[in-house]
Amino acid sequence: MGNAALRDIAALQTVSWEEVAGSVVAIDAHNWLYRYLTTTVKFTADEAYTTSEGDKVANLVGTVTGLAKLFEHDLTPVFVFDGGVTELKDDEVERRREKREAAEERLAEARDRGDGVEAARLSARTQRLTSVIHETTRELLSQLDVPVVEAPAEGEAQASYMARRGDVDYVGSEDYDTLLFGAPETLRQLTSSGDPELMSLAATLDGHDLTWEQLVDVGILCGTDFNDGVDGIGPKTALKTVRKHGDLWGVLDARGAHVPNGDRIRSLFLNPPVTEDYAFDTDIRPDVDAAQAYVTEEWEVDPDAVARWFDRIEEATTQTGLDDWT
Amino acid sequence: MFEAIASASTLGDALDSVSVLVDECKIRLNEDGLAIRAVDPANVGMVDLDLEAGAFESYDADGGVIGVNLARLEDIASMANADDLVHLELDEETRKLHIQMDGLSYTLALIDPDSIRQEPDIPDLDLSAEIVVEGAQLSRGVTAADMVSDHIRLRVDPDDEAFLVEAQGDTDDVDLELSREDLIDLKAGGADSLFSLDYLKDMNKAIASDAEVTIELGEEFPVKLHYGFGEGLGNVTYMLAPRIQSD
Repeated sequence: MGNAALRDIAALQTVSWEEVAGSVVAIDAHNWLYRYLTTTVKFTADEAYTTSEGDKVANLVGTVTGLAKLFEHDLTPVFVFDGGVTELKDDEVERRREKREAAEERLAEARDRGDGVEAARLSARTQRLTSVIHETTRELLSQLDVPVVEAPAEGEAQASYMARRGDVDYVGSEDYDTLLFGAPETLRQLTSSGDPELMSLAATLDGHDLTWEQLVDVGILCGTDFNDGVDGIGPKTALKTVRKHGDLWGVLDARGAHVPNGDRIRSLFLNPPVTEDYAFDTDIRPDVDAAQAYVTEEWEVDPDAVARWFDRIEEATTQTGLDDWT
Repeated sequence: MFEAIASASTLGDALDSVSVLVDECKIRLNEDGLAIRAVDPANVGMVDLDLEAGAFESYDADGGVIGVNLARLEDIASMANADDLVHLELDEETRKLHIQMDGLSYTLALIDPDSIRQEPDIPDLDLSAEIVVEGAQLSRGVTAADMVSDHIRLRVDPDDEAFLVEAQGDTDDVDLELSREDLIDLKAGGADSLFSLDYLKDMNKAIASDAEVTIELGEEFPVKLHYGFGEGLGNVTYMLAPRIQSD
């Protein structure tokens, strides 16, 4: 999921929830959902989110938990879902699948041993976004009147594009790749308990005296979801050498190195497949009773696992703020 | 420069009206009196307070701003009897407030005003109804509503010329109807808004039962509650954002 090496380069600053209150955030839906899915599975008993037919819908618990938090901080989310998987990402997808399968094997062993702690830990790792998860998450968001945008390809790319056009204030993602996709400002740690972290593209570029294109080249040299990095190049070397040789091609020439599909990867960040054909209403008026019935009756989630989150969503979305009148 | 002498009760009334909403606030030490404006962290309730120089026994200030921890200041003020005089003096050098009363002196460390939430802008409101009611009447409505619900609906019936306080609980309901005769004054207009009782209860605590409260109310708009204290030389306006009414 992106390259953490970019953290060493990114201009990051902790901000308070108050500073970002009232803003509209295009959230990378997969990234967000995955985080809530794994925490839910870790901390909630299986039975609470397993239907009588055996479907696991921990995503419904995770989604209401996460939404309550966003609403209470007065953020308006717009969830951006991935479209198709980019072909170049096959390797990454394959790598993740292998990891998951290995975890699944160990999970079965842990269960046989009766090691509940290890089983819970591994079970969080083996989560995947099944079609039931996709469908039910979208339906729940719709009941709660939360806007959704379907990306033609990468959700991060679409969210970054919407932020660049000024249609949203921030991109919400844990992934440093939003910098490469040109998102002006990204809010990280929206899903954790502390304050969010603001990642700024302009400050990153200014700080290292780079253009956006050069930053993408730095990213490619360190490795992205679409390629392995060049051996022996970490973030610091990448910065230095891109500044020295001007761009990716200059660096590769000088080193006699090669990045397969370099051209295509570059344009995937600079000109990714995105759509301008989207519209959303940020005046969110959820039907909390209907959403609660959907989750607890239709999908048989234990009411106790979600009741307080629904209450908090209701409270946060029906109370207006005085700043709505200034 | 700031030095003033106030009666403990006037000072206490002023502090109480702000502390029901926030823990810390900025106090503007204007030449013609004190001014405080603060909003709670959720941006739902606001207080706008003026205490004219004339409300003090003596008052001398030149326009500075101090930041205070209200709970601390209230604790100190509560050490005085209601008709005691409290002497306040700002030490510019140490940024401390010296407070003296009846032999007791207290040095209060101030808070950097820049570390306190910004003072809010006053919302621009179009409020069509104005109700003037005794503090005790409002209090009755709030207390009764609190028995059945977390929310309170305030509305004016322009035809019947009445002010209505209503609350709907899961099982029980409360209605208080105050007709023109029960009120001090009424400018009737279409007005109907729902509010959180958590906030209104707190505001109500600060309002004396014999105070004249002017309620400005609109259709799904914030409400303004205005009352005077300190023999009319102190003025408080609360603003409270409404809840969205479900149909």
